Amino acid sequence: MKKAIKGNHAVSHGVRLSKVGVISAYPITPQTTIVEALSEMCAGGELDARFIKVESEHSAMAALIGAATAGVRTFTATSGNGLLLMHEVLHWTAGARLPIVMATVNRAVSGVWNIWAEQTDSLAQRDTGWIQIFCESSQELLDGVIMAYKLAEKVMLPVMIAYDAFFLSHTTEIVDIPDQEPVDRFIPPYVPPVSLSFDNPRMFGGFFATDYFYEHRYTLQLAAQEALAYYPEVCREFTRDFGRTYDLIETYRTEDAEIILVTAGAITSVSRIAVDQMQGRGVRVGLMKLRLFRPVPVDCWRKALEKATKVVVIDRNLSVGLGGIFASEIRSVLYGSAHRPPIYSVIAGLGGRDVTPEDVEGILNHVIAQDKPSDAPLFWGLKK
Amino acid sequence: MQKKFEIPRQVLVEQDLMQPGITSCQGCAAPLSMKIALKALGERTVVVFPACCFAVFVGGYPYSSLKVPIIHCPFETSAVVASGAAAALSVRGEKDTVVMVWAGDGGTFDIGMQALSGAAERNENILFVCYDNEAYMNTGIQRSSATPMGAWTTTTPEGCIKEESKKDIEQIMLAHHISYMATASAAYPDDMFKKFQKARGISGMKFIHLLSACPPGWRIDPAHTIKIMRLATQTNVFPIYEVCKRPVSADTEQITEEWQYTINVFPEKNVPVGSYFKSQGRFGLMTDEMIQSTQKRVDRKWQELVEKAG
Amino acid sequence: MAAKKRSEMAVKHEFKSYRDITPMHVSLGNMLYNKTGAWRFIKPIYEDKAPACQNACPAGNDIEGWIKLLGRQEFEKAYWHLKREEPFPAILGRVCFKFCEGACNRGVFDDGIRIQELERFVGDRFSPATPHPELPAYNGKRLAVVGSGPAGMSAAYFARLLGFAVTIFDRETLPGGILRLGIPGYRLPRQVVAAEFEGLSRMGIDLKLGTEIGKDMALATLTETFDYVFLATGAHRSIPLQLTENLSCCRIISALFLLKQVARGETVSLGKEVVVIGGGNTAIDAARTAVRLGCRATVLYRRSPTEMPAHPDEVREAEEEGVCFRFLAAPEDIALRPDETIEKLVCCEMELGPADDSGRCRPLRKEGATFDIPADTILMAVGEEADMGYLSQFIASTDPILRTHEDLSVPFDTPAAARVFAGGDMTDTPHTVVHAVATGKKAAIAMDCNRRGIAFTDIQDHIRIGNGDALSFSRYMNWAPVNPVPCNDRMVVDSSKIVYDYFIKSPGCNKMVQPADQRRFSFAPYHDTLPEEQALLETRRCLHCGRCTECDNCLIFCPDVSILDQTRETFGYAIDYDYCKGCGICFTECPRHAMTMVSEG
Repeated sequence: MKKAIKGNHAVSHGVRLSKVGVISAYPITPQTTIVEALSEMCAGGELDARFIKVESEHSAMAALIGAATAGVRTFTATSGNGLLLMHEVLHWTAGARLPIVMATVNRAVSGVWNIWAEQTDSLAQRDTGWIQIFCESSQELLDGVIMAYKLAEKVMLPVMIAYDAFFLSHTTEIVDIPDQEPVDRFIPPYVPPVSLSFDNPRMFGGFFATDYFYEHRYTLQLAAQEALAYYPEVCREFTRDFGRTYDLIETYRTEDAEIILVTAGAITSVSRIAVDQMQGRGVRVGLMKLRLFRPVPVDCWRKALEKATKVVVIDRNLSVGLGGIFASEIRSVLYGSAHRPPIYSVIAGLGGRDVTPEDVEGILNHVIAQDKPSDAPLFWGLKK
Repeated sequence: MQKKFEIPRQVLVEQDLMQPGITSCQGCAAPLSMKIALKALGERTVVVFPACCFAVFVGGYPYSSLKVPIIHCPFETSAVVASGAAAALSVRGEKDTVVMVWAGDGGTFDIGMQALSGAAERNENILFVCYDNEAYMNTGIQRSSATPMGAWTTTTPEGCIKEESKKDIEQIMLAHHISYMATASAAYPDDMFKKFQKARGISGMKFIHLLSACPPGWRIDPAHTIKIMRLATQTNVFPIYEVCKRPVSADTEQITEEWQYTINVFPEKNVPVGSYFKSQGRFGLMTDEMIQSTQKRVDRKWQELVEKAG
Repeated sequence: MAAKKRSEMAVKHEFKSYRDITPMHVSLGNMLYNKTGAWRFIKPIYEDKAPACQNACPAGNDIEGWIKLLGRQEFEKAYWHLKREEPFPAILGRVCFKFCEGACNRGVFDDGIRIQELERFVGDRFSPATPHPELPAYNGKRLAVVGSGPAGMSAAYFARLLGFAVTIFDRETLPGGILRLGIPGYRLPRQVVAAEFEGLSRMGIDLKLGTEIGKDMALATLTETFDYVFLATGAHRSIPLQLTENLSCCRIISALFLLKQVARGETVSLGKEVVVIGGGNTAIDAARTAVRLGCRATVLYRRSPTEMPAHPDEVREAEEEGVCFRFLAAPEDIALRPDETIEKLVCCEMELGPADDSGRCRPLRKEGATFDIPADTILMAVGEEADMGYLSQFIASTDPILRTHEDLSVPFDTPAAARVFAGGDMTDTPHTVVHAVATGKKAAIAMDCNRRGIAFTDIQDHIRIGNGDALSFSRYMNWAPVNPVPCNDRMVVDSSKIVYDYFIKSPGCNKMVQPADQRRFSFAPYHDTLPEEQALLETRRCLHCGRCTECDNCLIFCPDVSILDQTRETFGYAIDYDYCKGCGICFTECPRHAMTMVSEG
């Protein structure tokens, strides 16, 4: 059934279709409409879930430690500061191997308030052990949530679905909402590998001394590798069942591209327009959209960029003192590659500043004019 | 004649959901309290441990000394982790279970307060137990907001012993309109057993405040744990009482006091607080003036309690 | 649970590889492998001890033991258990000085146990003539007991239980000595004494009455005929008053003499006003006897009530019956009328000085503070001493006899008397019935040691109870205690060892005593035995000091789940030393000090 809905509501429908058992959330703009819709779904009986209306994001995530350990499918959503408040618990939930799914509506964080789009909040969680998937459209959000449960419950790692505040969260698009039955087939009820049971009582977690902690951390790394290997299979099965295609990354007109633009999230959409316009003018430029960011699909990234003469990474995020986080990650991945094109790091759109197709063209033209990238990132559109 | 334990003998003798091998210090009151609590709650109990001594000595991976499911969680999250577990058990359709948080005073009075307050206000169907040893004992005896006035700790050393009163956690919890609030002490195991049994049968948020002597932290002989905890009650420093919600009649307009206070242990003789303080090394720096002012405060609080209990 | 060691149920997991770690980190074993017992440097053990009451009893009566049996309504067991250490419960249940009750640890809590009432209840429940369950065959040795008072009875009883063939000699025509002649019938009915002799007779003990040693039969005859001789001829000679001048008057008589006259049914004439001089039980008995003979009686005692040797209960009952007490007063002179009747007693007021050798304050005369008391008869009760006349023909020195209660292994210093022992009031033991019984027990054990050729002194400390002189006959016989656990009889549990918080206050039972205005006119017994219901209630008040009652305190308070219940299989509890950390909580919280902490290694 196709319906014009907002990005946040696409997430809510994904959660509903995934038959989540326990939801726990705390309101924060721009995440709120996800949980408002979920509250209504619970109240209206469309979703048979317990919704714990906690007193903070920290508790929102912590509640899911209890719920997921007790063997129930769980969901939460947050943004910006809320995500940062969860930070400790993110490490915990990943380490405890709890298959929680969370939507993070990327919102700027700093020493002043801003409620608009920036990905620094999610990217600050990249070392927690969570699987991170960046989305661009409402359909991708709905589908992404359903696929996230399949992935999470297979490899026993939590999954974060990240997307831009307002640009996606509050934008209405036409979304194909699947029927319940195929979703049920795609993700059967969650059965944890070890059940919390009274007949065979176990202790979950606890104190790991030096004799096992190191190995414990290594098993996390292995789980992430497993996720990387399994994600394409999830995508293939999704295509089989629902007809829509997803992969580790998405490429656009890169076949003959000399310059490849790398983006994640909503900037991808405007970048596509810019690529079309510049290709129309004979500039051989293509686009690589990052979807799975953690674990890093190293081979996939290298292969996509193996023919590029220049790589331009637009980051709507900032690792202060370094620059764009995606650029940094791409740089580190390509360093081990035989083909090492120059990487142009561009910071744009922080705190929800609009990035238009013209901005992207401007960025590309700027890069074309450069012989080699500067060490410092380019802050595009800065009021000078 | 001797007071008889009312704990059914079979439960006392056979139902041990806690096994030995735990690495608690000699004379620690916490495992003793847990033993009694689990006897009352039975095997369909989930225990949630935030960071605390118990979380360590219950057994390091891959060992557990409790024969009930345990969920470990971050220090400040126990009340909400328990809320999540309780919600999940209800989603799973598990009946007749209880999710019990077993948190120290730090995980209750201090860092655990926010999640606890949230869970209490939502009247989550959990049992939150604070085993209060009145300082951060696991990290080596640092002051907490549960540390009593006049106590020495490593962060309130000689020259700056704690001058502030202990936080009144019981009133804080009652201010959340929870379903059940009680204090208990392993020195009165019968009372403790009954309260855990009672709490198990009440839906909504239950809070039990346990006094839990810590021989190294209190600077006492491990053999005197129970004796000193008994003294805490006999001197009214730690009164043993419970507060239930009074059922409000629907056909009355009159709004009466919501709480039904019951004092469960009355001191048998009038013991001055000084004998409690002087029994412990941690109060060795307490001045006579402090003891006198504490006596007054204890007397006043006891009087208030007696009045509330009617 | 105790059958299989818990440490054998340890489930241990040693991971060799990261591959062994499960996706969700859950426990796979328990902590039983971790034997925390290794931390321990002192350990608790279950060890019964001597209760304060038993320690205080000169005879070493295992009061707690038979009270426990009584509480379980095992009446016959209680009876025979009691008689293991104290053979005459019906008698001592009436007339004992009850040192036990004074020492009862319950006294400082609310009200001591009415031990004497319970002992009497047990004693009256069965006839002493009931066949003795522990009567052995004869060992081939014969014992002559001289004197059928409590010391002689006790020696005969215990010696018979050790296999001796016993003959008791007494100069009186009825047996019982002081029990029959000295203690008034209203306190100790004659048939109670008679019944005990029936019991001794059923045990095969011979009684030769009307035979006075030294007169009707020479002591040497006894030593030649018998293997052992036990002398217990008592102390029947009253110590005379020390007055300014010696007086002789038929109305100045020994209190004991009066008691004997009354006991024999002789007619006595005392006049109206009787003054008894002295503060012991004989004084009180004489005063109360005088009241029953229609006189007004005044007891004159030179110290204050606190120092009075008579039992406070006796004093109180005497007061209730109208006996007047005049404390801090001593006789100085007796004014006689020309017809040699007494006109008055001149007394002097006394005051208390520093303590003397007995620990009591020495009474000092207040110069010039004299006063008169009217008196028709003056009864002397300032003490009795033994008449050793019959021994002088046989033994030069009487010293060893007087010391025998301290060390019976020291024989008389003539070869013929090597196997002669003495006990009771004729030795310098305190003059109470229970002390007499104690000397009889001690002598019997000493004789048996002699028979076996072992030194009594080697045995004595092994069978001593607490810190006093009392000996445990059970221990000598290797009889099992009521609790089948080790008992350290030498360690006494006093009130400082009792955790009173575990007990509920309840007053002791009321004695079944007739009101004073009824009993003061009669020599009939005025004090009834407790009814069963009352007695059983009273047993529940016993704190069972030093003796495990399986109260579960240790079990419940062990933080390390290291106390194993074995009450259903055997008795009490076991300690799982694999895990016991030696914290000592069980020891501290044992309400009755039935546990001990001992150092390891």
